Amino acid sequence: MLAKYVARRFLASLVVVLGVTLITLVLMDRTRGTYVPGIDLNPALRPEDIARLRADLGLDRPFYIWYLTWIWGVVHGDFGRSMIDGSTVMSHILDRLPNTLELTGTAILIGIVIAIPVGVIGALRHGSKADHTLTVVSVAGFAVPQFWMGLILILIFSVTLEQHGLPWLPSSGAYSAVNGGDFIDRVEHLILPATVLSFFYMSTWSRFIRSSMLEVLSQDYIRTARAKGMSERRVVYLHGLRNALIPLVTLIGLELPGLVSGGLVVEVVFGWPGIGKLAFERALQYDYTTVMGVTFFATMLVIAGNLLADLLYGVLDPRIRYS
Amino acid sequence: MIGPSRVAELDMPGAAIEGASTRPAQSYWNESWERLRANRIGMAAGILILIFALIAILAPVFSAVLTHFQPQTIDLSQTFSPPGGKHLLGTDELGRDTLTRLIWGARVTLGVALLTVAVSLTVGTAVGMMAGYYGGWLDDLLMRLVDTVLAIPAIFLFILMSILFRPTPVSLALIIASVGWGQVARLVRGEVLSVKQRDFILATRSIGARHLRLMLRHLLPNVLPVLIVAASLGVGQIILIEAALDFLGLGIQPPTPSWGNQLTNAESYFFHSIWLVNFPGLLIFVTVLASNVFGNAIRDAFDPRLK
Repeated sequence: MLAKYVARRFLASLVVVLGVTLITLVLMDRTRGTYVPGIDLNPALRPEDIARLRADLGLDRPFYIWYLTWIWGVVHGDFGRSMIDGSTVMSHILDRLPNTLELTGTAILIGIVIAIPVGVIGALRHGSKADHTLTVVSVAGFAVPQFWMGLILILIFSVTLEQHGLPWLPSSGAYSAVNGGDFIDRVEHLILPATVLSFFYMSTWSRFIRSSMLEVLSQDYIRTARAKGMSERRVVYLHGLRNALIPLVTLIGLELPGLVSGGLVVEVVFGWPGIGKLAFERALQYDYTTVMGVTFFATMLVIAGNLLADLLYGVLDPRIRYS
Repeated sequence: MIGPSRVAELDMPGAAIEGASTRPAQSYWNESWERLRANRIGMAAGILILIFALIAILAPVFSAVLTHFQPQTIDLSQTFSPPGGKHLLGTDELGRDTLTRLIWGARVTLGVALLTVAVSLTVGTAVGMMAGYYGGWLDDLLMRLVDTVLAIPAIFLFILMSILFRPTPVSLALIIASVGWGQVARLVRGEVLSVKQRDFILATRSIGARHLRLMLRHLLPNVLPVLIVAASLGVGQIILIEAALDFLGLGIQPPTPSWGNQLTNAESYFFHSIWLVNFPGLLIFVTVLASNVFGNAIRDAFDPRLK
């Protein structure tokens, strides 16, 4: 039963993957334009140079050849070569991936660690002052533009603190260029961007846990557990929280692609050398293959994340049956 | 056959509680409106958005009467003037009046959000309804398409497309809607699948209603509450996305002012001209906050089950 379900889901995912390659390629094909990626504005380029360079990069080839060439690269695992520096797209991705995972992984972890107690407190004391305060904070976290919050934090913790001669936090990059790269240095660089990102995750998930917990606590089996004389603590944590966390698994599974793409804006604001910043910079330079490769890579993660969340859901909640 | 006597019989339960105090019958819409009106915070948020919308619509009047500046008038003798005096909220690096640019920016930001919602809802409802109503291969085809579009991380899709279409307010709305319609389609399809099973649809079909009539006159009104809720909850997210794209330089292009693109170069001067960062950011924050709060109020009013 489960194997059949997995197989069917897998096939459906394959169709989606093919669809994604087509959509991104059609988009890229439409943007090919008449320039040379990376150096399109250089006045020293003569028209015949442009034509030659474009031919070298394969930009004049018909769509289907382009598509097949790119698929060939994907099958070989290198995702083709960057149009700007000629190295494989996969090497760029692998180069940036650890930085991105460091940032988003930390943010997601902090988000969960704060969201669970916040959500539980909100549910257990719902309607209280504490609940209202936490609600206001998470509603605010949902509405604040990440890039703006980033700017404000830089202003306070980097610019203003430095102006007053106080210890300040670095505002850009993942480590110092000079004498940097050790653990403390990386953590210092991580604090501001991770704060912005985890604030967002915390707001979303704490609301979610709160309502999930409220729902679970009104279930019959909770009443039964209480009627048995079980201590309130055991009721809440053993029966309540465990079941309330099940939907969170889906949510975090859906956030798996966020590991790669979720921090794009924050990466740009903080000059964090991650995958999102890579895609952003390369898009501005029309480095088609790199943008496509990163997009495809992130999409694969979405599909994998969805599948994983579905399966985990069934393991955690035996009431779910696969058919 | 159902004769008069049978009908009278069916009326019996009503007679049994005669004399009991009953609430006057109200339509679903009336009841929802009553619930919404009772939500004070929600209503305040709604009114705030209405005020912002009015300011946006009347932007030319405001810049003529209140600020006396045009959003794109450059005055190099007045760069980075702090708030107060002639420039209520100060000026930017080209001496342009911040308040005027914010007022005109509201037009862009709110206009894009409105158009995005309208397009997402229209396309999404059409697709979702066809998929849910006809089912079969059409359903499979459309839903795989939705899966595909939604599988691509939205931010990458936006980047790709804003290179493709030089973003104007209209094309930016279409770009954001190109993802939004998929979510609406899923929602509508789910709703249609459940409404389709009800007896009144069977009855309507049995008296010979055509497909189109069934969908527009009978299914659509039943899907409407879900749509209203989705729309009002979506506005805030759309404003955030639009602002972020503008900030990244992938959205509305200068010199047209939007709330997001007024922050694009903020990092190069924000340590001496903080107002240039504060005001646009605060406006985005307050607007998104208000639309989220109002969206929640709408949801509680229209769909009390979800509370």
